Amino acid sequence: MEERTIQKKHKIGSALYITLCFLFLYLPILVTMIFSFNSSKSLTRFQGFSLTWYERLFTDSEIMGAVYVSISIALLATVISTILGTITAIGLSKSRKIIKEIIINVNNIPIMNPDIVTAIGLMILFSSLKIEKGYLTMLLAHVCFCTPYVITSVYPKVRNLDPALANAAMDLGATPFQALTKVILPMIKEGIFAGVLLAFTMSFDDFVVSYFITGNGVKNISIVVYNMTRRTNPTINALSTIVILVIMITLVIVNIVPAITKKRSKKNFELEKEGIFIAQNKRLKKYAGTAAAAALIVIIVLTSYAGNKETLKIFNAGEYIDPDLITEFEKEYNCRIIYETFDSNESMYTKIMSGETYDVLVPSDYMIERLIKENQLAEIDWSSLSNSDNLNKDIMGKAFDSENKYSVPYFYGTVGILYDKTVVKEEDLKDGWNLLKNTRYKNNIYMYDSERDAFMIALKALGYSMNTDKKEEIDEAYNWLIEQRVTMNPVDVGDDVMDNMIAGNKALAVVYSGDAAYIMAENKNLEFFNPDEGTNEWFDCMVIMKSSEKMVLAHKFIDFMLDVEHATINSAFVGYTSPVEGAYQNMLETDYKGISSYTPVMGNKGNEIFRYQSAETKGYFADLWTKVKAH
Amino acid sequence: MKHYTKLVRPYLIWSLLIIIIPLLMIVVYSVTTGGNTLVNIQFTLDSFKKFAEPVYLQVFLKSFQMGLITVGFCFFIGYFLAYTICRFSEHAQNYMILLVTIPMWINTLLRTYAWIGILSDNGILNTILEKLGFSSISFMYTDFAVTLGMVSDFLPFMVIPIYTSLSKIDHSLIEAAHDLGANNIQTFFKVTFKLSIPGVVSGIITTFLLSVSTFVIPKLLGGGQYMLIGNLIESQFISVGNWNFGSAISVILAVVILVAITIMRKIDPEKTEDE
Repeated sequence: MEERTIQKKHKIGSALYITLCFLFLYLPILVTMIFSFNSSKSLTRFQGFSLTWYERLFTDSEIMGAVYVSISIALLATVISTILGTITAIGLSKSRKIIKEIIINVNNIPIMNPDIVTAIGLMILFSSLKIEKGYLTMLLAHVCFCTPYVITSVYPKVRNLDPALANAAMDLGATPFQALTKVILPMIKEGIFAGVLLAFTMSFDDFVVSYFITGNGVKNISIVVYNMTRRTNPTINALSTIVILVIMITLVIVNIVPAITKKRSKKNFELEKEGIFIAQNKRLKKYAGTAAAAALIVIIVLTSYAGNKETLKIFNAGEYIDPDLITEFEKEYNCRIIYETFDSNESMYTKIMSGETYDVLVPSDYMIERLIKENQLAEIDWSSLSNSDNLNKDIMGKAFDSENKYSVPYFYGTVGILYDKTVVKEEDLKDGWNLLKNTRYKNNIYMYDSERDAFMIALKALGYSMNTDKKEEIDEAYNWLIEQRVTMNPVDVGDDVMDNMIAGNKALAVVYSGDAAYIMAENKNLEFFNPDEGTNEWFDCMVIMKSSEKMVLAHKFIDFMLDVEHATINSAFVGYTSPVEGAYQNMLETDYKGISSYTPVMGNKGNEIFRYQSAETKGYFADLWTKVKAH
Repeated sequence: MKHYTKLVRPYLIWSLLIIIIPLLMIVVYSVTTGGNTLVNIQFTLDSFKKFAEPVYLQVFLKSFQMGLITVGFCFFIGYFLAYTICRFSEHAQNYMILLVTIPMWINTLLRTYAWIGILSDNGILNTILEKLGFSSISFMYTDFAVTLGMVSDFLPFMVIPIYTSLSKIDHSLIEAAHDLGANNIQTFFKVTFKLSIPGVVSGIITTFLLSVSTFVIPKLLGGGQYMLIGNLIESQFISVGNWNFGSAISVILAVVILVAITIMRKIDPEKTEDE
């Protein structure tokens, strides 16, 4: 009796603790849901209720495509790995000890290996076998890491079976197949269901493996979310709210409805491993089974249906195009664009080197030079580009491709420092790049997370050429960067610099002039300047890969982007300076009126363009950069 | 049931192709040079020697340190949560465990993004702090943010196996301990905790594995200069393009984790009985 009262007192404390824990677990989910109804883009301030993001969601073909990939891969991987895993577990229990041990240990490898190692192993495998990466490789990889979980869920149940049962069934005239389906499977179904749920969860939520082995524009939800860092996009919040609601509703139907219609049997919570609920109602299970089967058929039909149109594969930097233009081009030329994005020239190059092919790429100057040297690019047929006269001639014929034989300008600009006028003192700007070492702004700096730009800053600050190959100069720049890291504690950011600077999180940021224009249009406290020591003048251009078999369509795409109207739309969306003269003038009068960084200061003394580096120099930089980052 | 032994053959072949061979290829890459083509490779241990440089060892130590901290928080919060849940009626328990599992179904990246919104300099948490009259604090891009993100993400992986072990404990054992004169604390450590060790071991292994190798959470919550072993591997493959070095780090990571798991397993009484 005494214990009871103690327990009651404890219960209040217990309930409080549990509530706190759930609050902690659900806080991010709650925030996601609330901000999906925000009328503005902000993810930190709620500015009014709206359903805009839900409307956007259903018209966003990239997200809808990703939803389709995520669900179909998860369903297919679950079905395949459940069948494979279950028959293996059944066979395993009666196998010879040595085979049993081998399989159990091998099976543990994907479970015990870090995701990233599994992912890399598969990526190397597919690359060296020259298997084209995409839907199939993603499916294979998912089956690879899902099956072990099915086996670990099913095997203990099989082991507990009385072997005499199957023999008895066969003695009574059942074939081995009948004994399997009528006797064994029903007795291990709980294990199988646990496996199914685990496999589905693992596959649906996977990021790391999918990220490394995907290709051909096949993206699941995680990959799309990961690529969205550039500009926060609450459409994805809308999506996850829907996902949450679907899960909740499913669970409610599966658990509560049968509980009302039928008294709970005590044994329903047998599922030990993951504690995930199981449909107790046999009928529901059957419905679920039929629904899953139907969904699968639909998926298979859809997959085989897609792809009669001509396709064009484009590889561009993340959020570097207005997606409406892609849709428009597809309509106009009745084709399908497979659009993939990269986060740096280096990662683009790595992808190409791993055997991936594209039709149109949008790399920067030094990378174009490298691709030309390595004979990867096709010559541009300028005569087929009806809009080529729209191009601003001043920014053509640069050293990386002096006659524009291979490249058509897409955007151009400089790199400079974006600063908060309310925090940074005007006189400090005299320091040029060394402003980034002014301890007044310690903890208040975003650096751009890019090897060449980081070294460019250090080399320019020291008065050297950013294209140097002298080891002493590079070492000195390395020390500059390490010193800056130690004294200033800067944060390296990629495209997330945009949201952060718009929100006014820090006083200084190294950014591209185009990003600066976009940010300054949103936050009027900011100003942009190019340090006097010189900076990087960069040119991002459209190029066509030599391996492309879609020369005509690729040229049509390039020509499409040179159209004044299209270039205007694109420049307004991205914020970068357009090389199309008409679009540039339009922007000066509308979206970027009065924003200094939209007109990059070109031709300053000390300005340079990145040039191709020899393999040795490149390796030397890469090593030092890894060390800077690891410091 | 002898009829069914043939059923393991498909998986035997499958696992050879898609589990063993990729692993061997990583090993081959790690001990060779010659870049990303297997055409003109040469044997070398340079990648491993390179790893021995202090900068990289530092990254390795930092990863394990962050991993252990995360596991520690997950363990204390998670064990207590699982233990508390077990004190409720079976009906309530089912719902609570369900609530613990649901976040696992929501995209990890999305949850991490939500944390950015909460923690950033002008984010929700700081807005609240300012309203309450405190000055704002820089949470983002710190160890704190990374740990918080990892703990919130991996906590369910700790709670569920511990709960499973705890809920299986025969209550009469605890009563017997009480009857024999043990107080609550003694009963807990000598009976309850001992019986929950299998769950604890499984929870610790899973959360450790996840937190040592993640590269997404440190990148998003710690910033680009926040380098853990996962980020180092990712950068070697994705941006630097030095697959040999990346493979070498992967091999080292896999081996170290394997050793750590084997040691952990030894503590688990159930697993050793199994063999």
